[in-house]
Amino acid sequence: MNTIPVIINDKKLDVDPGKTILEVCRENDIEMLTMCHLKGVMDIGACRLCLVEVEGANKLMSACTTRVNANMIVRTATDKIKRYQRITTELFFAERNHVCSVCVANGKCELQQLGYKVELDHIRYPHLFPQCEVDTSHPWYVMDHNRCIMCTRCVRVCTEVEGAHNWDVMNRGHQVRIISDFNTPWGESITCTSCGKCLHACPTGAIWPKAIVQGQLEKKPEMLSELMEKRKMKL
Amino acid sequence: MNRHDLKTIIYAEKTKEENNKYRHKICVCCGASCISSGSEEVMKKLQEEIKTRGLENEVEVVPTGCMGPCNQGPLMKFLPEYNIYQKIDCSNISAIVQSQLTEKKPIEDLLLFADSREKPFLDAQEDPFFKKQMKIALRNCGHINPERIEDYLVHNGYQALDKVLFEMSPEEVIAEIKQSRLRGRGGAGYPTGFKWETVYKYVSDQKYVICNGDEGDPGAFMDRSVLEGNPHRVLEGMAIAGYAVGASKGYAYIRGEYPLAIKRFELAIKQARKMGLLGNNILGTSFSFDIEVRIGAGAFVCGEETALIASIEGKRGTPRPRPPFPAESGLWGKPTLINNVESFAAISPIINNGGEWYSEIGTPKSAGTKVFALAGKIKYSGLIEVPMGTTLREIVFDIGGGMQNDADFKAAQTGGPSGGCIPAEHLDVKMDYESLVSLGSIMGSGGLIIMDKSSDMVDVARYFMEFCMDESCGKCVPCRVGTRMMHDLLQKICDNKGTQIDLNRLEELAVYVKETSLCGLGGSAPNPLLSTLRHFRQEYENRIVKHD
Amino acid sequence: MKSGTAVHTKELSKTDPRVKLIAAKMKKENYKPDALIEILHTAQNAYGYLPKEVLAYITKALHLPPSRVYSTVTFYHFFSLKSKGEHTCLVCTGTACYVKGAQAILNEIEKKLGLKAGQVSADDKLGVQVARCIGACGLAPAVVLDDEVQAKVSPDEIIKKINIKIGTV
Repeated sequence: MNTIPVIINDKKLDVDPGKTILEVCRENDIEMLTMCHLKGVMDIGACRLCLVEVEGANKLMSACTTRVNANMIVRTATDKIKRYQRITTELFFAERNHVCSVCVANGKCELQQLGYKVELDHIRYPHLFPQCEVDTSHPWYVMDHNRCIMCTRCVRVCTEVEGAHNWDVMNRGHQVRIISDFNTPWGESITCTSCGKCLHACPTGAIWPKAIVQGQLEKKPEMLSELMEKRKMKL
Repeated sequence: MNRHDLKTIIYAEKTKEENNKYRHKICVCCGASCISSGSEEVMKKLQEEIKTRGLENEVEVVPTGCMGPCNQGPLMKFLPEYNIYQKIDCSNISAIVQSQLTEKKPIEDLLLFADSREKPFLDAQEDPFFKKQMKIALRNCGHINPERIEDYLVHNGYQALDKVLFEMSPEEVIAEIKQSRLRGRGGAGYPTGFKWETVYKYVSDQKYVICNGDEGDPGAFMDRSVLEGNPHRVLEGMAIAGYAVGASKGYAYIRGEYPLAIKRFELAIKQARKMGLLGNNILGTSFSFDIEVRIGAGAFVCGEETALIASIEGKRGTPRPRPPFPAESGLWGKPTLINNVESFAAISPIINNGGEWYSEIGTPKSAGTKVFALAGKIKYSGLIEVPMGTTLREIVFDIGGGMQNDADFKAAQTGGPSGGCIPAEHLDVKMDYESLVSLGSIMGSGGLIIMDKSSDMVDVARYFMEFCMDESCGKCVPCRVGTRMMHDLLQKICDNKGTQIDLNRLEELAVYVKETSLCGLGGSAPNPLLSTLRHFRQEYENRIVKHD
Repeated sequence: MKSGTAVHTKELSKTDPRVKLIAAKMKKENYKPDALIEILHTAQNAYGYLPKEVLAYITKALHLPPSRVYSTVTFYHFFSLKSKGEHTCLVCTGTACYVKGAQAILNEIEKKLGLKAGQVSADDKLGVQVARCIGACGLAPAVVLDDEVQAKVSPDEIIKKINIKIGTV
């Protein structure tokens, strides 16, 4: 296949056209922070963590949705981008109620890891402390909106992979919430197949199985891409 | 209907008008503003009055679109004298008709601006409010009955469509638009001709043309007035665009808050279909084009093109990252041209008079005219159209008649929640895309709110931030959480509880949200804050709690 | 709050003229999912709000996932999940109205009638709402009382007019 040259962080790479900047970076061991990206489902460019500077572009581009062009010059780790990544992380933590020490995902949480990566020692913005409910109506799983970061990975997995479309987003702005059906308790959903894919798609401790306690959660986000690969092979 | 039939109809209408030429034409403004002030009743009373006097054959009474000075409504205009009466009270109608038609002289005390000017102008065209204006997009607004296609036809309506279909290739149409240097009137100012060319170049079995009439900026009502006052003009512009880019289907996305605009536009579509100006084989050519109206359901973000497309597809109006741009992959993944109402309204004059004519109006970088919705603490608010490059001072003091109660001018807010405030020291700024951006504001869709000393600029910034916070779609983090944080910090400063640290954080967040947001809403949400910080920093400083 | 209402709660009466209206609209739009917003407009106009059973009916007819419909309904201002009241008082808070005292009107309504924006009186007689801009900036401050625009109103005037509407004078 014909490859095209791109320059990422002053390093010249020959890459397949049609790939996104994020894919190219991941293949070449260039670190990229992401939160809403999940291999196997559509990218939406919502978390704004993977923003990169592209020479000639008048704004920062999200790496997960921007495809590489020949001779593109990309910078992924400038001071500005690092500063913005930190602010984004702070806003994630300040938006809802994230208390790692009592969370099932403690130690395995992508948000927590993100905090370490951007060296977050404290949060400069006031916490919003919204009142969020915990939906325990499902026989096996729990949805805790306090820990949800609205990445909508569960929504996309449920719609695109499982095909159930149990999850969606209601309201808008800072009032958004993940809902099942008509904002009905998860346990009463008529569309949920209880497949558990959302559980593995969720980057934090917002969706978890009932039988476990603090810190015990095992998530397998790569399960989905493996599943998608197998489906493709079958076709 | 073919071309010949159209010419016959126009000819018949024109001769009809010339043959039983009425001696007088009375236009009653039936724009949404004047209707709210009671112009429908005025219309009824006036018709009765004409009937009792037995003048039906001499006087034609026409309900028209917006005439401009909206806060003086209901308005009534006598032609050919061009006497405009303001704030019509039904009890005065008889006296006005008596004086105008029988005694042949106007009642000066009731004329437009009679209560605020030393002496009103008999011929309203001489009044500075109208004299400084140049009407292209609004040309027939206030002169013709928007609910009759024949009125539009008599005033050169659909001549441009006829011209492009029979005399021009799509490439020539695009070249003409490019030559006119028309820029998108929705706010961003992207050159319209280039946009058309991009869509034209993509090969696809189906393309779409969308008219963006989701005018969400608070304080803006230009698109509404154009749609209400001359819907056929917009329709014609869309059809020409369809021919140029190779689209056969158009959507007009109109705000649900504008029921009259929706009604009139739908009526216009029906009339045009009946005349063969829409539908299959327009005017007997191989070109087919049809338009459907989609009603907005109340979301400011749907003015953003990718969100608008999602909304037409029946989904949540959330924007998606660009590229791909709608020109490549828009409605249902097909190449789509999206232009604002006012941009479409400028198309047919450009085709009729040539791109060069249009490009000579205005400034070198911003050609043509711009419609502004003038409101706030100003004497004469309403709808105006001026050449690009007219100074803010001319708009406020000549056209707008100066400040209400002769207060001191403090600031003008342009571009709504995406724009900024222009302080008094920049009153001589030329109103064009670049000059406004250099002052930290934007042209936006054309809302122009004038403020006096009673306006608190920190509160104004808080007001717009609250708007953006509520209207954020909630998809991306900077806009969803960032606008909330900025709003809370601004509220804190408004409550006199903010500190210097809060102000620093606010500034840092503003730049962050501006640069990292997914779409234009978030990207411009900090503008009112940043521009008030730039021009009125002292007001923020005064509010801050000082620690010794 | 989650109230435990399953999707299939109440069956709609097929003879209800409002249901007929929605059914006709859906048929006209060919049951296309992309006409969802158009259909919701019809339902909202017929009922004044969108009752859950109506949403369930539309969801079923268009073969859409319930959460997809609910997410769309809650996104747009126009659609309301609860009754807006028999009479509505819509206060415009667009920029022009705001600088000319829309807040004073809202304050007065709250003081005299005890209703904040978005609230409906206990007897369902009056609902108070705010609009971002009704585009009648020349008439600021403007209030829409049951589809009728009240131009350049003072707080006192509007209270009087509301009282006449709801018949408490």
